Amino acid sequence: MSTAAHADDAHAAHDGEHPPEPHYSSKVEHPILGIYLFLGSEAMLFGSFFAAYFFARVAVPHEVWPPYRPELLAEGIQVQYHLPVFLALINTIILVTSSFTAHWAVQALKANNRSGLIAGLSLTSLLGLTFLLIQIREYMRIGFSPRDEAFGSTFYALTGLHGIHVFVGLSLLTFALIRSIRGHYRPAHHHGLEVPIIYWHFVDVMWIVVYVTVYVL
Amino acid sequence: MSTHAGLEHAHATHAPPPPAGPRLRQAGWLKAAWWTPLSFGIATALVTGIRWSAHWNPVWDLDVLLVAWTVIVPLGFLHGLGAFDYWLYWISGRPTRLEDHSDHGANSWRDYFRVNTDHKVIGVQYVVTTIFFFLIAGLMAMFMRAELARPDSQFVDPNGFNGLTSVHATLMIFLFVVPVFAGLGNYVIPLMIGATDMAFPKLNALSYWLLPIAGLIIVASFLLPGGAFSAGWTNYAPLATQQPDSNLMFQMGVQWAGASSILTALNFLVTIITMRAPGMTFWRLPLLVWANFTTSTLVILATPFIAGSQFLLLMDRVMHTNFFEVAAGGYVVGYQHIFWFYSHPAVYIMLLPGFGIVSEVLSTFSRKPIFGYRLMALSLVAILILGFSVWAHHMFVSGMASWLRIPMMVTTLLIAVPTGIKVFSWLATLWEGKIHFKTPMLWALGFVSMFVIGGLSGIMLGSVPVDQHTSDTYFVVAHIHYVLFGGSVFTIFAGIYYWFPKMTGRMYSETLGKWHFWLTMVSFNVAFFAQHWVGLQGMPRRVADYDPVFADWNMLSSIGSFVLGASTLLFVYNMIVSWRTGEVAGSNPWRALTIEWLVSSPPSKFNFDDIPQVVGGPYEYGVPGARHAVLNGARVLTREEGHAASGVPH
Repeated sequence: MSTAAHADDAHAAHDGEHPPEPHYSSKVEHPILGIYLFLGSEAMLFGSFFAAYFFARVAVPHEVWPPYRPELLAEGIQVQYHLPVFLALINTIILVTSSFTAHWAVQALKANNRSGLIAGLSLTSLLGLTFLLIQIREYMRIGFSPRDEAFGSTFYALTGLHGIHVFVGLSLLTFALIRSIRGHYRPAHHHGLEVPIIYWHFVDVMWIVVYVTVYVL
Repeated sequence: MSTHAGLEHAHATHAPPPPAGPRLRQAGWLKAAWWTPLSFGIATALVTGIRWSAHWNPVWDLDVLLVAWTVIVPLGFLHGLGAFDYWLYWISGRPTRLEDHSDHGANSWRDYFRVNTDHKVIGVQYVVTTIFFFLIAGLMAMFMRAELARPDSQFVDPNGFNGLTSVHATLMIFLFVVPVFAGLGNYVIPLMIGATDMAFPKLNALSYWLLPIAGLIIVASFLLPGGAFSAGWTNYAPLATQQPDSNLMFQMGVQWAGASSILTALNFLVTIITMRAPGMTFWRLPLLVWANFTTSTLVILATPFIAGSQFLLLMDRVMHTNFFEVAAGGYVVGYQHIFWFYSHPAVYIMLLPGFGIVSEVLSTFSRKPIFGYRLMALSLVAILILGFSVWAHHMFVSGMASWLRIPMMVTTLLIAVPTGIKVFSWLATLWEGKIHFKTPMLWALGFVSMFVIGGLSGIMLGSVPVDQHTSDTYFVVAHIHYVLFGGSVFTIFAGIYYWFPKMTGRMYSETLGKWHFWLTMVSFNVAFFAQHWVGLQGMPRRVADYDPVFADWNMLSSIGSFVLGASTLLFVYNMIVSWRTGEVAGSNPWRALTIEWLVSSPPSKFNFDDIPQVVGGPYEYGVPGARHAVLNGARVLTREEGHAASGVPH
């Protein structure tokens, strides 16, 4: 609860002690600054997982990356682990699109366009859900597990950490959608919507980094 | 984050408060008392159910169960206590309660034992909780010194000794030094910047309650089969993955403590950036606020790395992944890199707030402006940046890439520059000052002298050749205790004595305070100075037994540490008795200038009747007519009026 709420007239009727009128010393508002700082922390968490990835890939010598499957190499056959680069590209396009629809939802709210807001949030949630389902499908058919070499561990760690963030973002979007349908948020009061959307953009940007590092490079 | 949404909601529906249900369903200890076992049951059923239906053997796997328990039971407990109530209502779009300030402030001692959103209550909760864990961890140190008083085995077996060492260090770092500064900052910073509270009071309350959970998880590791985790507070792979189940308690406990500290840091940053009083520019902030600003930035950026390191370790252990498993292409030294990328900045997380406290105390009690105020602030920022570039100096003998050694040595030695600026500025602040040797001042002066010793042995350890000789010896133990006890803990005592009158409205006993200081100062040096010597002679640390040639020095160390322990009891006695019956302190017993001393002791529920107006720097002692801030909408005095008001002849 920020002091902003204390100043609200809704509380003026309440008897008892009152805090004084607050003073803002920044143009940025609490929730927006707060979510950006939180995402800074999140980015560093991804950073620690990327560190583990690069240790396994760079600090440990390999002939090729992805490495040869050790069980086949023992029989003298050189077969690399395979990553579905094209499928992941399609997934990337889906997630990037969802960032645009999310942005559309916020703009619609600011223009007081309720149906645009609901449509934008629904589309974003659907695209996010599609991404997550394709990711799960990919896990089931990829042909190696987190226990297969440090390669498998780091692959699942990075995509899995990202997947958890998609899930959290999707939950936040769903709550925002429910609230939009119930008529909450106002063009002048949209932080409750903006915070999940900023989080969603972060999830999206982070996926691009994961995709480029893990699948493309 | 929740605030504005809650606000919107108030606009949208003007919901009446929910009718009071039966007491069992009202947030509080009663609800927590049945939610805790309930969530324990849920966690157990979840794990065994999934394992049973997937035909995984064994169905009862203690490793997995411990993870589930340490995640789900705290959440259930917190839910019972009501830490999530507001967000749960908000997130589901149900009517939230209007903010009626009922969970704000303390009217009786009971209010300190519930989810309270007042930063002053949370500050006291933090300080008392952390001192509780300080005493427990100190007791473990006493056990260790008792064992080490003589060669051979006396009281504990080697494994038990390793457990004591590990839990002692973990509690001291994650449950005392890091969070006690969050507590002092919580109490003082909103007052210092002229704000009514922190930016996110509900998040603040949640951050506090995560802390005792972390502490209980870590202490509970003693109850598990195989004894407490014993791989040190650094918990290196692969040793950690081969330890008994209790090692998970370190990994999970650190996650809770880390989450608490990240959320508090975020709160501090938003508060300092957006809630400063009019006129409070960054160059007028007290140095304690600067110190917490830089510390919080460090916490936000570095703490996720220890979270990452423990997540990876946890997966290696529970899911049998291969991040640090050499046989399957993992990189074992990678754990140390990730760990120290947090844990070296953590050294500054444990020191910078202390630098801030000492700056306040030295300036106030020598009645002089801080020497080089801007450079003092900028050197904090320099330490923040350099602090991220030195982590591998903990790994000179680890077998890491050898080309890393020289760059890391150079950056390590570079940190002596901003730190040196601070030490010389403190000395210059004292120079020709009117020094009052009150208890907080004694601790601050003790800090400067002890920290210089720790800093100098740090420079020695930062150079590769000396480090290779002294790695894993008592030289390192001596160094860490000179910087973390002689450094951080001395500043903590300085801060507690300094703000005790503000927090309680009463004075502590000056006589007992001085006894506490001198006993600690002498016994601390008796306990730790000789360890430099035995360390250079090659006595290894973290070992229960040692060569009889070191027997006399160790006996001396042990005697010193017992006196040190006894002196802490003096502190606890002083605090408790003075809190109840101490002489009533005025609003400003130290005649200090910063804003927290302009309001009553303890401050009123919302700190101020009107937001103060800041008109000058925080340390203008001895400057005729200088004011830092004015209260109650008072007109800013002219220079001449200021002279007249302060009675300074001109």
